[in-house]
Amino acid sequence: MLKSKLLWILTFSLLITAGCRYDMQDQPRYKVYKSSDWFQDGRASRELPEGTVPRGFLRDNKALYTGKIEGVTATAQTNEQGQQITFPDVVSEFPMPVTQEVLDKGEQKFKVYCSLCHGAFGNGDGMIVRRGFPKPPSYNDDRLRNAPVGHFFDVATNGWGKMQGYASQVSVADRWAIVAYIRALQISQNPNKTATTAPTTGKTEEKPVATPTPAPANTNTNVAPKPSNTNSNVKTTNVTNTAAKPTKTGGNK
Amino acid sequence: MAQLFHKSANNIAKASIVGAIVLAGVAGFAYTVIARSSYLTGRYIERQQPVQFSHRHHVGDDGIDCRYCHTTVETTASAGMPPTQTCMNCHSQIWNDSPYLEPVRASYRENKPIKWERVHDLPEFVYFNHSIHVNKGIGCSSCHGDVANMASVYQENTLQMEWCIACHKDPQSNLRPKSEIFNTAFDPSTLSEDEQKKLKEDYKIRSREMLTSCSMCHR
Repeated sequence: MLKSKLLWILTFSLLITAGCRYDMQDQPRYKVYKSSDWFQDGRASRELPEGTVPRGFLRDNKALYTGKIEGVTATAQTNEQGQQITFPDVVSEFPMPVTQEVLDKGEQKFKVYCSLCHGAFGNGDGMIVRRGFPKPPSYNDDRLRNAPVGHFFDVATNGWGKMQGYASQVSVADRWAIVAYIRALQISQNPNKTATTAPTTGKTEEKPVATPTPAPANTNTNVAPKPSNTNSNVKTTNVTNTAAKPTKTGGNK
Repeated sequence: MAQLFHKSANNIAKASIVGAIVLAGVAGFAYTVIARSSYLTGRYIERQQPVQFSHRHHVGDDGIDCRYCHTTVETTASAGMPPTQTCMNCHSQIWNDSPYLEPVRASYRENKPIKWERVHDLPEFVYFNHSIHVNKGIGCSSCHGDVANMASVYQENTLQMEWCIACHKDPQSNLRPKSEIFNTAFDPSTLSEDEQKKLKEDYKIRSREMLTSCSMCHR
């Protein structure tokens, strides 16, 4: 009698657990990166239909969103061989104010996305290059030092040579911040030559341009940017002394 | 009529009461152990991925920042899984004939996403947002462990509610300065209590009552 009662209780509790489902854990809705049997390519996240513009995403400020201006052949230079180097159809002024905050953000983003190949100082000696990626040109040669800012933004957006575009990884504002930081890098690495296109815009509050802080010796720099203790001598416009050692500091570890 | 039970049955009855209590205790303890076991939580279990991707190599050896691939971790709820394009940023040029990377190239050619095996999977009745944690002083490694040393990623913590709540009750001891958020080797317990207190003020961390209210996570 007792035994059969126990047996009943056991079977009943087993039945209850058999009823356990995971409807709440795995709800019948789409979250980011979920797959879907409904769509042919198996993706729940859909691309926008062609020609549609999400509310608030009408990017009609062409200079800001593409770094380009039609019909303006910006700054032309002559290289050592006497050839003209031109950068057609790109803006030569920042479409937004360049402030200390922008530069700080640019530094942070540059270290995350760019320094891997371009190196901490823009000399093209980053870790991925040391691993075998074709060496990109240095930011600190005359051609790129005199290139208009729109050129850098365009390259960051659409790629150049072996470099792929970073539009999907870095937002528009961050890309401009990176360009501003590249300008600061260039000034810091060429203290004796005046950069012809220092960061200027009409609206800029002329805050001092920060020189990039040298990369600490280990390769962890990119993972963990240490708070720079060199800041005291860094936040000045007079960069002549701070950047006396131009090259290779980030490399050859 | 003779007695049905012998006198000694009294002792058996008494012992069975004690035995039942002990058994219930053991069963309760066993339940807590099993519920926290990696068999049920998935903790420490390495998953086989379609590509032998090593975080130890990419983060540890190469020094690639977490955000290079997990681009939206600072701005949205999801940290972001990199599209195949991100792999090809480098692997179009280096290791571009390695057989290990064939699934990546196939994905790129055919425009089909790689089906990664999910390692950290919260139940969907929980709301979790990466950006608020990262922006308020909680580093990647506080939840994900030292990923820079993981050849294949495993779940470092149980991801159970008691684990979430433990930190929401006492966030102070898990805070780290902004510069160390993405440093997976940083240990927040190395900070002094004063430093922690200061961080808590700077980040404007909300009260314990607020952080442990039900609707904080179940919304």
